[in-house]
Amino acid sequence: MIRLPEHRLVKFTGTIRGLMVSNTAMLQIRSLKKTYSGGVQALKAINLDLPKGMFGLLGPNGAGKTTLMKILATLLEPDAGEVEFNGIDLLARRHEARRMLGYLPQEFGLYPSLTAEQTLNYFARLKGVADARARRELIDALIERVNLSSARGQPVGEFSGGMRQRLGVAQALIGQPKLIIVDEPTAGLDPEERARFHNLLSEIVGEETVVILSTHIVSDVSNLCGRMAIIRRGEIISACTPQDAVGSIADSIWEATVPREEATALRSRLKVISSHAFEGRVRVKALSKDGRPAEGFSLAQPTLEDYYFSLVS
Amino acid sequence: MYNIARTPFAAVFQAEVLINMKRVAPYAMMLLFSGNALLWWGAGPAEYRGWATNSEHFIIAMTRVFSFMTVPLFTALIMGEPVIRDFKVGIDPLVFSKPVSRAEYLLGKFFGNFFVLVCCQACFSITFFVLQGVSVPGMLVVEPRVLPYFKHFFTFVVVSHLLLAAIYFAVGTLTRNVKIVYALGLAFYPVFITYQAAVLKRMTGSVWRTILDPLAFNWIDELSRGRSAEWLNQATFGYTADLIVNRLLVILLSAACFAIVYFRFSRVERSGNREAGGPSSIFNLAPPSERLYQETGDSGLGRYAEDERPAASAAASVVIPAVDTSGRGIRENFGQFLAALEVELRLLRAEHSLVVVIPIVLLMCGIEVGYFNGGSGPPYSAEYAGVAAQVSLLFILGIAVFYTGEAMHRDRELRVEPLLWSAPTRNFVLLLSKFSAVFLILISLIILLLIMSVAAQAYKGHGPVDLLPHLAIHSLISVPNAVFIIGASVALNVLLRDKYLVYAVSIATCGGMLYLFKQGYNNWLYNPVLFQLWSWPDLSGGGGNQTRILAHRVYVLALTALCLALAHLFFGRRSSGGIYDDGSLSGRSLAALIIIISAAVAGAAGMILIRAS
Repeated sequence: MIRLPEHRLVKFTGTIRGLMVSNTAMLQIRSLKKTYSGGVQALKAINLDLPKGMFGLLGPNGAGKTTLMKILATLLEPDAGEVEFNGIDLLARRHEARRMLGYLPQEFGLYPSLTAEQTLNYFARLKGVADARARRELIDALIERVNLSSARGQPVGEFSGGMRQRLGVAQALIGQPKLIIVDEPTAGLDPEERARFHNLLSEIVGEETVVILSTHIVSDVSNLCGRMAIIRRGEIISACTPQDAVGSIADSIWEATVPREEATALRSRLKVISSHAFEGRVRVKALSKDGRPAEGFSLAQPTLEDYYFSLVS
Repeated sequence: MYNIARTPFAAVFQAEVLINMKRVAPYAMMLLFSGNALLWWGAGPAEYRGWATNSEHFIIAMTRVFSFMTVPLFTALIMGEPVIRDFKVGIDPLVFSKPVSRAEYLLGKFFGNFFVLVCCQACFSITFFVLQGVSVPGMLVVEPRVLPYFKHFFTFVVVSHLLLAAIYFAVGTLTRNVKIVYALGLAFYPVFITYQAAVLKRMTGSVWRTILDPLAFNWIDELSRGRSAEWLNQATFGYTADLIVNRLLVILLSAACFAIVYFRFSRVERSGNREAGGPSSIFNLAPPSERLYQETGDSGLGRYAEDERPAASAAASVVIPAVDTSGRGIRENFGQFLAALEVELRLLRAEHSLVVVIPIVLLMCGIEVGYFNGGSGPPYSAEYAGVAAQVSLLFILGIAVFYTGEAMHRDRELRVEPLLWSAPTRNFVLLLSKFSAVFLILISLIILLLIMSVAAQAYKGHGPVDLLPHLAIHSLISVPNAVFIIGASVALNVLLRDKYLVYAVSIATCGGMLYLFKQGYNNWLYNPVLFQLWSWPDLSGGGGNQTRILAHRVYVLALTALCLALAHLFFGRRSSGGIYDDGSLSGRSLAALIIIISAAVAGAAGMILIRAS
């Protein structure tokens, strides 16, 4: 059971309610449960309403993000619950759901002997792009868009991790998908490729598109997403906009740089949400609504990361 | 004090044993080898030759046949991929960045797996040893013994397979291609038989025949030639000098193989990647994304290793065109099937093993057909086609089982499954593309065999060459057999979910059925490949069995449809559960319908077969 400060609990519940009654929700998830055969309860009756646009799903490793993504991508069957996209039951009408889907899994492979062009051609044909000319134009554009033009004839087995990831992005964009699911997409990408990927994602969000970005990198969500949720141990513990999230901890985040020994003592006395090593000392951030928590602390500009840590740490 | 248990060698050894303990293959091998011992103990040559089942002679004779017949492929299975596995799962940088020497790593890998292999093989001798306590009427048993079982197991199995294991390990480690190892495993039989027939059998001196025999296969024959069963049952066999020299030579050769591996093995990741061997560390510890940058010049400024980066801004302006994906129904499914089939064929073509396996099969069949004397001809065409169909059956079986297993599990092994399975493609499209790809390979093989048998017939002057019997025999016997075996393999791979388990089950089932057929328990209903049940007059209408054969072929094709429908029903990728999906009959409904229809057709054809007998 997580203990939240009273003001945040009220805010959190209100946001969830607000989302639940929202008329603009395109993807609705109701009481979704999944328990693996080993007894691990990955999802505990999750409820979420996702409007069009980019939605960030944050959570630590093992929180249930990938399980949720796999269920939405029709790859995993839940034990109970409902998922509806634009009025279509995704769990009952899987084939139709797959027509609308663009999926980039956290871990994926590609046939090493096929070239980038052959790979995209294959996935385009599987997605139902029957017209050869249209397919060729689409592949040309995708290859150029993800910056693989010079490697289009190269076997995928010779690609670097970043190039493979970009090809993965390209295949997820085939056929104007309405629901794009990207699971930890920037893991393994260098900063420049990450920025390029962010730009690409924000540009592909169309009028009637939902993009779900699952990640544990908080800055990805703050940079890209209009709405977000935090999942921990199979439960949604917060769902709101990043601005609301940051606003809820305004004037509550305090910061100090202290010796290492003192940091340990502070952890037992204060609500420390994060601590980082800094020039041989420790930079500590603490949550306190009732003013300065201790001597040496100064008010800090709150970030989404602070909000995230205040919930999951 | 030096403690070997605390060395990196011991750690690698232990890890290999642990990995193998979590695999299905060793347990399947143990069962298979024990079953093999049980079979040869109960139904081997002992009873009709008057040999005691626990006499030293029988122990040696069975152990060396086991070493030759049963084990070589399994040695390839265990010893081929220990090092390849590390590179495949990507654990190599973690291992090689530790203070483990090349010798410790390779020795740990080799002996860890060889230990597992020997444990599996030992099940044969242990079962034989235990069975001497079981009394069966009509079976001769002499006084119980212990040492001969384990002594001869070590001499004839462990030492012999040390060499084979070293060869497979060397090839697997140096080529990093497990398919080549399997091809070598398959090639062992023709190579060894040819070596026996062409070299050893022609030697006049028995000493050299023993010394130059890598499996010491002929040694016991030299000692027991012309002896009575009574003498053999009481005889004890001490190792002769030539056998000891032979075994020492085998151990030396194994050490030589190992030395080659030691000197040639490179810990650097091997690929056509431009970055490989470049400025990144020798063990490639840097994640791929980091390897994109290269330090150049004295400025120390990072520069892009690839040309496309400066073009990034241009790429941003590219608009992705809208495409029509509204196609539905049969046309859409057919288009997707063709795409999947094309990729399956490309991937099969990229497998180096096919380049080895197909010529070996053609060579083996070519030898058989080439040495065929024409049988009861003239006319000869049916005789030649019959021999080709008969000889190729085993290879069709092997290729169908192996390549179906590869095709069925490739997507999971390469982690392409999440991408494929989230595409709007029907399950039957994915399954049928794999089925059809293997089928096309076998059809190509059958056509090559047909051409080869026609050429052999013409070359040997056994004319006139009539194409009709060739075409009829292959289209009525070989092709439906291939269809059935692939269909059954697809179903087995879906139901058992582990390709090695499927290989073991397939080998055990085929071996068991072949044994039953050879023993005379041959029935049309459980002989789907018509082994020893057809002749050319039956096919041409002169033998009176034409209707029966046609009914059998319908029966087999119906069983194939049943297998494929079952595979569809239990396929790991879930489709919609209802009767209809996306406006048409759902995949599951279709599969259920095909199961009912094919079961009815198979039942009707089966009734015809029963009535005809």
